Amino acid sequence: MLRAIGKRDRDIFEEVWPDKRRIVLKLLRQDTVSQREWQDLFFGVHFVCLWDEKGAAKIYDCLQQDIVEFIVQAQSQVQAQRGEQALLATYIVEWRKFFTQSNYLPLPFRQLEQSPQVKPSSSSSTSASASGASTSAAAASCSNNSSKTGPSTSAAAASTSAAASTTASSTTAAAAAASGSGNNGSSTTTSKKNPTEDSPVRKLMLDSWNKHIFHDIKHRLQDSAMKIVHAERNGDAYDAQLVVGVRESYVNLSSNSEDKLEIYRENFEMAYLKATAEFYRLKSTEQQQENGVLAYMKYADSKLREEEVRAKRYLEPSSFSILTYTLVKVLIVDHLNSIIAECPALIRDYETERLNLMFRLMDRVLHGVGVEAMMGDLQRHIMSAGLADMLSASEVITQDSEKYVERLLELFNKFSDLVRNAFNDDPRFLTARDIAFKTVVNDTSVFKMELPTSIANRGVKYTAPESKCPELLANYCDMLLRRTPLSKRLTSEQIDARLRDVLLVLKYVNNKDVFMRYHKVHLTRRLILGTSADSEKEEDIVEWLREVGMPADYVNRLARMFQDIKVSEDLNTQFRSSTSRHDAINIKILNAGAWARCSERVSVSLPIELEDYIPDVEEFYKKKHSGRKLQWYHHMSNGTITFVNNFGRYDLDVTTFQMAVLFAWNQRQHDKISYENLRLATELPDPELRRTLWSLVAFPKIKKQILLMEPTAIASPKDFTENTMFYINQEFAIVKNGKSQRRGKLNLIGRLQLSTERSQQEDNQSIVQLRILRTQEAIIKIMKVRKRMNNAALQGELIDILKNMFLPSKKMIKEQLEWLIEHKYMRRDDDDINMFIYVA
Amino acid sequence: MKVTIKSWTGVATWRWIANDENCGICRMSFESTCPECALPGDDCPLVWGVCSHCFHMHCIVKWLNLQPLNKQCPMCRQSWKFNIH
Repeated sequence: MLRAIGKRDRDIFEEVWPDKRRIVLKLLRQDTVSQREWQDLFFGVHFVCLWDEKGAAKIYDCLQQDIVEFIVQAQSQVQAQRGEQALLATYIVEWRKFFTQSNYLPLPFRQLEQSPQVKPSSSSSTSASASGASTSAAAASCSNNSSKTGPSTSAAAASTSAAASTTASSTTAAAAAASGSGNNGSSTTTSKKNPTEDSPVRKLMLDSWNKHIFHDIKHRLQDSAMKIVHAERNGDAYDAQLVVGVRESYVNLSSNSEDKLEIYRENFEMAYLKATAEFYRLKSTEQQQENGVLAYMKYADSKLREEEVRAKRYLEPSSFSILTYTLVKVLIVDHLNSIIAECPALIRDYETERLNLMFRLMDRVLHGVGVEAMMGDLQRHIMSAGLADMLSASEVITQDSEKYVERLLELFNKFSDLVRNAFNDDPRFLTARDIAFKTVVNDTSVFKMELPTSIANRGVKYTAPESKCPELLANYCDMLLRRTPLSKRLTSEQIDARLRDVLLVLKYVNNKDVFMRYHKVHLTRRLILGTSADSEKEEDIVEWLREVGMPADYVNRLARMFQDIKVSEDLNTQFRSSTSRHDAINIKILNAGAWARCSERVSVSLPIELEDYIPDVEEFYKKKHSGRKLQWYHHMSNGTITFVNNFGRYDLDVTTFQMAVLFAWNQRQHDKISYENLRLATELPDPELRRTLWSLVAFPKIKKQILLMEPTAIASPKDFTENTMFYINQEFAIVKNGKSQRRGKLNLIGRLQLSTERSQQEDNQSIVQLRILRTQEAIIKIMKVRKRMNNAALQGELIDILKNMFLPSKKMIKEQLEWLIEHKYMRRDDDDINMFIYVA
Repeated sequence: MKVTIKSWTGVATWRWIANDENCGICRMSFESTCPECALPGDDCPLVWGVCSHCFHMHCIVKWLNLQPLNKQCPMCRQSWKFNIH
């Protein structure tokens, strides 16, 4: 070879290259190349580049010619195929051969990479669409790869994983070829990067292929591939490998290192999407018409899955999301209305499986349009079904709190199950359920509670009726916490579970303050009468109420009530040890602020025995707590008396008022006493006396009453006159199973009256009154912090503060704002009527 | 026929015995609380001085803490001593 030195440049190329060119052609044809020939080629390229100034360009031009020639040959072979499968098969064979060689052939020509002469010609051969990007990429790789041996680390390394694995498999093939052992493309995976990937020669090969063969037949290729996919969708025989092969050629053909999938995306992916959409556009309409919407949902679901699996075979991962989008559009969105139209019926029939299917389909639709429609259907169904259910049972449930709460809970559980089974407890459906539950619970069509107001209530003329639900919930709580047949029947765990259920329902109640009020009244009765079934549970539920967000001052007051009872127990122990006379006396000293608002005190002339005790108790208390005096609340006091007659001896639980009435006969047991005389003897106010007498002549559910009256035909306590006569029933006995008992215990207290008749009317008024005060208090609290605030923001914060007690109506807020402005707590901004300013 | 009492539970609340309606410091009713408290009763007690004037405990303590030298009753200017019964 050295003799070539000194010759002119042109001669060196012309002398050396024809020989080497044969080797190049052999390589292109995949003929066997010996180790020696392979080495010669390296040497030849190096030699020409070294001694010939323009050697690199010459080699490159020559190489290009050879490659194009080869490709043209391959093209004619492919084009000769008529059948689709044959065309694809031939193309794939030719392409694979060529592609394999595109990994080896560049190796000997690495020297060209350093030559500036190669660059311009490379850009000229690039296909028009990719020219700009690929030129700069090639330029970048040329300068980057000045170290000849190291694997490419240029930015192009960041390619998709699939592209990486295909190139990685050819790396081993290249390595095998480099060692001269042969050129069969065995593919195993390695993570190494192909060193030839960015070489200009490889680029030349791929671009040439693209230009001379691919460009002409790509439509035929795509069409053929899509026909195979179509056949597969129709369940016909097919050769999946052909489609995969075509796709691979699309992916590998790209020489654009920044976007390796460009050719694939613009051609193959687009064709695939189009074919898919067309196929299912026809099929979906056909399926729906033939089999109905319900069957169609199943079809759509299965096809979506099927296509996802198919996409994994035929498409690059980058295409999955757009394919899914296309499928959802054709299979679901285009049929949205007819699918949604089935939803109400499915909810009505509790078709959880189908609903679940529908939900899964709708959940794929962007922006949740379908899901929203389903939520609306669910909400409407729960509302209407819930209300209808309540209404149909209204006769029972308005009377019986247990039945009401149980029915309500049954309803809740039913719909919660539906949301769980059909909608996987999806938060959006849980919200829809909650909104519907709220409507059912706060509905006033089954039973309502009027909240009357008085003129004293600062301009509030009337209030809207409210649901009675909180009252019934409180009643149910009372049944569980008091010693009742219900609470005796249940285990402790069952009672806990039911109390939890009550709190669950309470969450949906708007007027929680009504519950609090009734709960407190019931608790007061239980504590005064000592009828709690389990005092620990009583205190538990107070904490639970705190946990569900009941206002702290309310909960604190309940806690205070328990404290009072405990302190009173200690006091009783001390009192009894201080004197031996009063073993039968219990006192309960209450903190006035903590307990249910006590009405005005009622005077009563106590039995002499009791009159004796009272000063002792007062004296004792004064010694214990100086500066305090006791105020007796005899309408809450109660006791047990022993009633003895000719027939037997009975222990009767009675109120102090009942006691006072019965003691009137102690000295004259056979007398008939007139109403007027009883009034003088007991000193009870008229309404209290009437009520007390009525409880003794007509106590519900007992066979023999303790008092009898004359005339007997009196229907209500209002009909007592001054001259109505009362006398002891000498035949009185406790009747059990139709037999009169000689001994026994009977409770005549019933529902302990916590208030007098007049103050009972005030009860509901006071709820409204309290709301007004709470609203004012909250407004001032907010304004004190904010100083300036507009109407909308104020209302928002106000509702946030008050929602755990009640939902203030817009009207009430407005009225209270006016009241506060009028009383100079705040004022409106002079310029903006909706802006409030706090006045200190 | 004869009726005898076996046991009796008397219910009562208690009130302060004060010589005035309102606390002379905060002007709030003795039946309610000082301005700092929420629950009347044991939580916000009254105290008496030897001069027989009576205040919310919280109010008079606050007042006394504000007097650097002579701890005086705010009503009668006699030096303040708690009347412990």
